[in-house]
Amino acid sequence: MIDFTLIFRILVFPGFTFILLLTLFCDWVERKIEARIQNRVGPLVAGPAGILQPLADLIKLLTKEDIEPRDAKKTVFKIAPILAFAFMVFALCFVPIDGASVLSTTGFNGDLIVILTFSTIASFLLFLSGWASCNPYGTISSARVLTQFLGYDIPLFLFALTPAFIAGTLSIFKIASIQTIPFIILAPWAFVLFIITMQAELEKDPFDVPDAESELVGGLETEFTGAKLAFLHLTRDVQIVFGSALVVELFLGGPYGPVFFGLPAFWYTLWFVLKLLAVVVLTEYITTLFARLRIDQVLSANWKIVLPASILSLMLTVALVTWVYPLVVL
Amino acid sequence: MSNSKIDIVSIVESKLKDKVQIQLGQLGNAAVNTSNGLHRDVVKVMLEADEKTAIVAITGLDLGANLGLLYHLRTSNAFITIRAEVPKDNPKIQTIVDLIPGAAFSELEVADLLGVVFEGNPSSGHFLLSEQWPEGIFPLRKDVKANEVKLNPPPPEGARTPEIGRQVKIIIGPQHPALLEPEKFAVTVDGEIVTKVEPRLGYVHRGIEKASESRTYLQDVYLVERICGICNACHAYGFVGTVEKILKTDVPPRAKYLRVVTLELNRLHSHLLTLGHAGLEIGYETLFQYFWRDREPIMDLIELTSGNRVYSSLMTVGGVRRDIRDTDIPRIKTTLEELRKKLPFYRQIYTNEASIKARMQNVGVLSRSDAIKLGMVGPVARASGYDIDVRKDEPYEAYGEIPFKEIVYTEGDTWARMNVRMDEVEESINIIDYALDHLPTGPFRIDAPRNVPIGEAVCRLEAPRGELFYYIKSNGTANPDRVKVRTPTFANLPSFLKTAIGESIADVPPNFVSLDPCFSCTDR
Amino acid sequence: MTNTTTWARVKSPWVLHFNSGACNGCDIEIVALLTPKYDVERFGVKLEPSPRHADVLLVTGCVTQQCAERLKRIYDQMPQPKFVVAIGACACSGGVFDGNYNVVGGVDKVIPVTAYIPGCPPRPEAILDGVVKLLNALNPPKQKKQKQLEPPKETKPVVSEPEVIVPSQEAKPVIEETKTNVKQ
Repeated sequence: MIDFTLIFRILVFPGFTFILLLTLFCDWVERKIEARIQNRVGPLVAGPAGILQPLADLIKLLTKEDIEPRDAKKTVFKIAPILAFAFMVFALCFVPIDGASVLSTTGFNGDLIVILTFSTIASFLLFLSGWASCNPYGTISSARVLTQFLGYDIPLFLFALTPAFIAGTLSIFKIASIQTIPFIILAPWAFVLFIITMQAELEKDPFDVPDAESELVGGLETEFTGAKLAFLHLTRDVQIVFGSALVVELFLGGPYGPVFFGLPAFWYTLWFVLKLLAVVVLTEYITTLFARLRIDQVLSANWKIVLPASILSLMLTVALVTWVYPLVVL
Repeated sequence: MSNSKIDIVSIVESKLKDKVQIQLGQLGNAAVNTSNGLHRDVVKVMLEADEKTAIVAITGLDLGANLGLLYHLRTSNAFITIRAEVPKDNPKIQTIVDLIPGAAFSELEVADLLGVVFEGNPSSGHFLLSEQWPEGIFPLRKDVKANEVKLNPPPPEGARTPEIGRQVKIIIGPQHPALLEPEKFAVTVDGEIVTKVEPRLGYVHRGIEKASESRTYLQDVYLVERICGICNACHAYGFVGTVEKILKTDVPPRAKYLRVVTLELNRLHSHLLTLGHAGLEIGYETLFQYFWRDREPIMDLIELTSGNRVYSSLMTVGGVRRDIRDTDIPRIKTTLEELRKKLPFYRQIYTNEASIKARMQNVGVLSRSDAIKLGMVGPVARASGYDIDVRKDEPYEAYGEIPFKEIVYTEGDTWARMNVRMDEVEESINIIDYALDHLPTGPFRIDAPRNVPIGEAVCRLEAPRGELFYYIKSNGTANPDRVKVRTPTFANLPSFLKTAIGESIADVPPNFVSLDPCFSCTDR
Repeated sequence: MTNTTTWARVKSPWVLHFNSGACNGCDIEIVALLTPKYDVERFGVKLEPSPRHADVLLVTGCVTQQCAERLKRIYDQMPQPKFVVAIGACACSGGVFDGNYNVVGGVDKVIPVTAYIPGCPPRPEAILDGVVKLLNALNPPKQKKQKQLEPPKETKPVVSEPEVIVPSQEAKPVIEETKTNVKQ
């Protein structure tokens, strides 16, 4: 019996299917918000209010002809996109969605580090897929992916340590459940900087240099068609959901919130999705309101501003946790 | 301005009196007839006398036994044409690229289309024509029939050699999201830094100059209008204005004002288009959407005044085809007023928004002296502090009677070029407002004679992208003998090729779009 | 399953725009389609940068000598199923430039065309109408009547309204040229 529950949890809820649908839904929300800010309507005819648009895109891509360029490094070209997608979904499986994570109900100490590592591996696989396509645009784009995520991973880890320090644990499950006062109030500076770093890590405007359309055509996706392209798109979208989920878990109190009646799992999921959407809306606002920076500007912003800020933030947190918070809140 | 007092014609006359023939009042202020090699001396004299001397165009003519060359030069206050001739069987002439670097493209074009060999110009290969174009056939010569040219078979596709090392060649175009039009730029990058840009033009070369020789003057108005879908009214006016100069007709005052309204509406929609397109190139899609949203009412105005959204087809020899109804004037004015109200918001974005400044300031900086030397025109020149605007320098139609400011910035970078356009949008609104307020009564068209006498004329006008130049030679028949068009992008392109070197590959698109490039104009 | 696939294809046409020698008129109208007044994203239309991602190729302008080969290569680089829409009088037949020395003619001289949208330039509404008509022609009810039309090689455009010819939906065997990289 327990086995069936686990299988259900992995495959349907809150596992693969739920994550996939959530990803498609977030994609739709993003496109709608972008369109509304730009005075447009956005997807409209596929399903009610165009909500099935991402699904239609996905199905169409899956059923298209799959072309392998003559020059591509075949094995990597085939495997990398789907592997990247798998790693991202796997990383999300450790995030508590309905009050417990998919794989184990309570998580383990250090799973924060594990999921951040998984997302780094996925970024690396994206780089590999661009490189394996042996296309000049893809090569340059993947070089940019590599430079950017190597640079921004360090501050991202450091910012993620701020809530971990306040909570006194490296388990994402415990960090989320310990927040009687959300950490956004205790460490607002870290929240703001984490969002900005996340924006860079997810390659969204103003940091979307790897897929700068006006220079690099389709970026690292240039050569991909059909199912492989579908998985690359999905990886990007899951990355966005993952980043937003991380913000929710680390700063907004995770899935926890008031339970009014019935199953707590239902309410937890609801709070999780609502908080997630709030973060997605926020990041999409930032995306639409800025122009793209140049790669050297992106990098110097990292080494000159974000990285020192992350170290300062960590020092400030340690000081606060040691001397101030015990007196005030905890 | 002290420069405006230079009398370039008498200087040339005094220095080269015995060697050249000067015909006053022909093809601009004067035409200077030179014999072999002397055209360089005239150019030298002009350069010494006036530092603002720049090449506008080189027109190649098929004169039967000889090939004629017309060097159209612009000084700070005059327009001079130098004539030269070379025999058809040995068409060699000395280059002037070493004197005026801006002449490089013009010489290449004449070499490709007419077969004149410019001694000393290092470039080789086709400039506008296809790589498969047969050797020794030059389409602008009269004996070449457009339909009878047989192309060489395409070369077999060779195996590509993989690029090794730090230098990577990125091909921008012919199909590329940064270019709406097919044109190829091979950009060599070292890491992210551009080290070399090799352009390949001619993807949109449709042979309009040759085609216009086999159509009547009336048909040609519609043909040259289709050189460019953006600045179409300017092309139509350029042709019509030149023909009117040959005919020596004067259009009624109302037509002059209506032409100004049409040309300025054209400029408005073109500038809004570019300002938005620049947003797209730097990844600022919201800005693009906003500008294009506010461009749509202008398109509606063009439709209101002409009956068509894109091609206004309003210009005709002797005036305009349609009058503006008095009942439409309030609507035009309210629409423009609404646009004017939105301008402070956009100007604030373009001057203050941090990410725009980060991407546009100090990108593609062109100094004033380079702008003059390379023969820049329009907003690109004005952003470098080179105050050249045909509407002011040589007012045509009603521009002499309408007060407006000439926008000049001194920074010379992409940011300044976009801000010149931003300010010109407001000036255009002012001009249209003034023109509609002071619209003279009377006919809007006169019956111009159908038969164009033998003659030749040049006409310059300020298109949205800069100075547009037309030269027409008529031979007394129903069709023109030669139509030469020099478009603003053709003149501005060397600026991009010069300033892109040494900058990041990411700066290529904003730098490029700041020229407002139009390749259907460039290639014709 | 086929119904779902067709539904997805109809609802998610990603387009690639290629200017094969146009005057900018049609091109600007295509870009105008993306902007607030017309907003084709409503129909799921996305302008894609790479031929590999596109379902529909929008070609504007008469085909010039230099562009002919490029156009063919871009068509070959697109994955099946793919459609070509010729936009504007020049793309339909060569238009005012037909017979010039550097002009091959209409788009159908080089690649098979599925739909013709005449006009100089066609209004954005007309382009929208043409693309939507093309996609609706894919729907199953019409599919039954379909007589396995091969993409016509020499069909001339109908002047008044966009003409839609449904090509075979079966994926054709991949030709060798499809496998060259998107390089230029």
